[in-house]
Amino acid sequence: MFSGTAKPIMRSAAWRLSLWATLAFACGTMVVFVFLQQFVAGDIQRRTDAWLTGEAGVLGDVAARTPKGALYGRVVREVAELASREVPHKPGINLGPNDSVFFLQTAGDGSLALWVGAGDAGAHLDAVRSSRIVPETPSDLHVSGFDTPFRVACVRMANGSNVYLGLSERDDLRVLRNLRIRFILLWLLIVFIGAAIVFYSTRRVLRHIRNITDAASRIGEADLSSRVPTTRRNDEVAQLALTLNHMLDRIESSIHQLHTITGSLAHDLRSPLTAVRAKLEMALTAGTKDEESESIVSAIEDMDRLTDFLNKSLDVAEAKANALRLNRVAIDLDEILRVMIDLYEPGMSEKGLRVQLSSTGPLEINADAALVHRMMANLFDNELKHLPPSCTVTISLRTSEDAALLVLEDNGPGFEAGIAGHIFERRVKGRNSNGHGLGLAFVDAVVRAHGGTIEAQNRREGGARLTIMLPRAGNQGSARPSSMALASN
Amino acid sequence: MRVLLVEDELDIQGFLQRSLAEAGYQVEAAGDARTAERLAIESNHDALVVDLGLPDQDGLSLILRLRQLGLSAPVLILSARRSVDDRVRGLEQGGDDYLTKPFALAELLARLRNLVKRNTSSSTEATRLRVLDLELDLLRREASRSGELLNLTPQEFILLEYLCRNAGRVVTRSMILDEVWGMRIQPDTNVVDVHIYRLRGKVDTDGRGPLIRTLRGVGYVLRDR
Repeated sequence: MFSGTAKPIMRSAAWRLSLWATLAFACGTMVVFVFLQQFVAGDIQRRTDAWLTGEAGVLGDVAARTPKGALYGRVVREVAELASREVPHKPGINLGPNDSVFFLQTAGDGSLALWVGAGDAGAHLDAVRSSRIVPETPSDLHVSGFDTPFRVACVRMANGSNVYLGLSERDDLRVLRNLRIRFILLWLLIVFIGAAIVFYSTRRVLRHIRNITDAASRIGEADLSSRVPTTRRNDEVAQLALTLNHMLDRIESSIHQLHTITGSLAHDLRSPLTAVRAKLEMALTAGTKDEESESIVSAIEDMDRLTDFLNKSLDVAEAKANALRLNRVAIDLDEILRVMIDLYEPGMSEKGLRVQLSSTGPLEINADAALVHRMMANLFDNELKHLPPSCTVTISLRTSEDAALLVLEDNGPGFEAGIAGHIFERRVKGRNSNGHGLGLAFVDAVVRAHGGTIEAQNRREGGARLTIMLPRAGNQGSARPSSMALASN
Repeated sequence: MRVLLVEDELDIQGFLQRSLAEAGYQVEAAGDARTAERLAIESNHDALVVDLGLPDQDGLSLILRLRQLGLSAPVLILSARRSVDDRVRGLEQGGDDYLTKPFALAELLARLRNLVKRNTSSSTEATRLRVLDLELDLLRREASRSGELLNLTPQEFILLEYLCRNAGRVVTRSMILDEVWGMRIQPDTNVVDVHIYRLRGKVDTDGRGPLIRTLRGVGYVLRDR
């Protein structure tokens, strides 16, 4: 059994699902943002370029029309300063000398003709000279001493001089940076909220599923009449619960049917068998002749074999269908083994077999006493029937915190190669076996009914090994020692 | 000894009635729960033998109601069902022993005998048992034949004691397993026979008349005459 709190969150399906969902969501929104930013950046540059081209054209026009003279410089400078005041996206904080816009005119030979802008023209002139700016097409210009490049438009005058109008990209980049920062903050917030929502909603759904799992596992081992919890909503989980319940209905009715069939089969066969056996017995005691009594006796023995086979078949059928009803009480496996050895030892030594027990002392488990007795008898019968003379059976009983471990080893021929994997199935037996092939199937069924495991293998040094693990604490509680004390009278 | 037999199969009822009568019981028989209830109320019985599958009512309910009406006699349950649950329910509801069909008549008689004895004479336990020239000292756990001490293991002594207590009557293998080893199991092998064989080797030595007889198909009997 596991519970919600005991299971670390990191390993839950809800955690994995929300992790993947969040990752997908984060990547998606990030891609959207990158496109958005590209679009905004492109748009800002297009508008800057349009302004630059227009203003450069106007300035070039003014410069061309203004006669070269003393006034030329003043006129062009004023026009250029006017233009620089209407720079787009210009933030109001920049009240000092405006270094985000410059106007530069070079003469035909490349020397400085006119400079309008903050500071010295030298750096700008060097930058303009070293780069090849094509007229009509604005392009980036890196000026030494400035972190951000300028966007520069150029107009070629008729007299061979060039008019350059430059605008710093600083403001554009600041706008884009602000956009980015805000988006990332917003993005983190959305992703976090989204992850939380996904995590809690999947956990809610999965908790329903876990409730169903818990209920279903309880049903498997306890009773078949209870059902998994259903919700009123008609979603997939509710469908799962409904389907499970339908399945349980069918299983319950099958088990019930099996009980009915085995019950009525048992009854229908047992009554005539009882009558026949009684008639034979009475005929036997009525003082018959020897040769007649011999055939009556062998008929009785045949009947007993038939009865035994019937009982075992029904037991195994019920056990295989998980229909064994367990009546758990505290029993001491060590004591049972000693009684069994006491019972079987003469029969075994008669056949030349030895049996050894190695046990760590009393070992109590919660189990059905009658079933465990019969299981042990089957194990001993199996060894007694199949081992050739002068073999040794070694039985060891060990305990761990929550399970008893019973290991039966012999140094006989081992399981036949072909049947080793099917040894616990009904009707599977060795070629030379004269049993029903039900003994180990019954053992297997009893062990499973108690929630234990059984394993059969051939030992490397020769011989067979059966390893049986039985949980010590029965999970069905309800021990009824008084009734079992009566039953074992 | 009066016994009320409740069994609906007339065939089986007839045989049981006959063999119970042969064993010295006064038998009243009923084929259904209503008749059985009437007979049980009308007169006292020392024991009841009740089949669980009755036509008009479940045998367990019958036993339960008779117990409520103050029935104290022991009940031997006959059942065609053999799951543990039914047995335990049977025992909890006041039945004192059970037997699953088909059973040996000898076993039915022995179990019934045990029940009646358990119910009536829980008085003075003998400390010595004597059958012909066989003598058992129950306190010292010693057995002797014609005054000669037998070398028995503790388990063999218990087995011999059980045979002596039922001297002259048949005991089956399953009764021996139940009484001596405390287990209701049906071994596929002849483990009980080997125990008897060994015991016989010590009790019926040469020169003495054999005491332990094998009744093939039925069980064993310790001769008492």
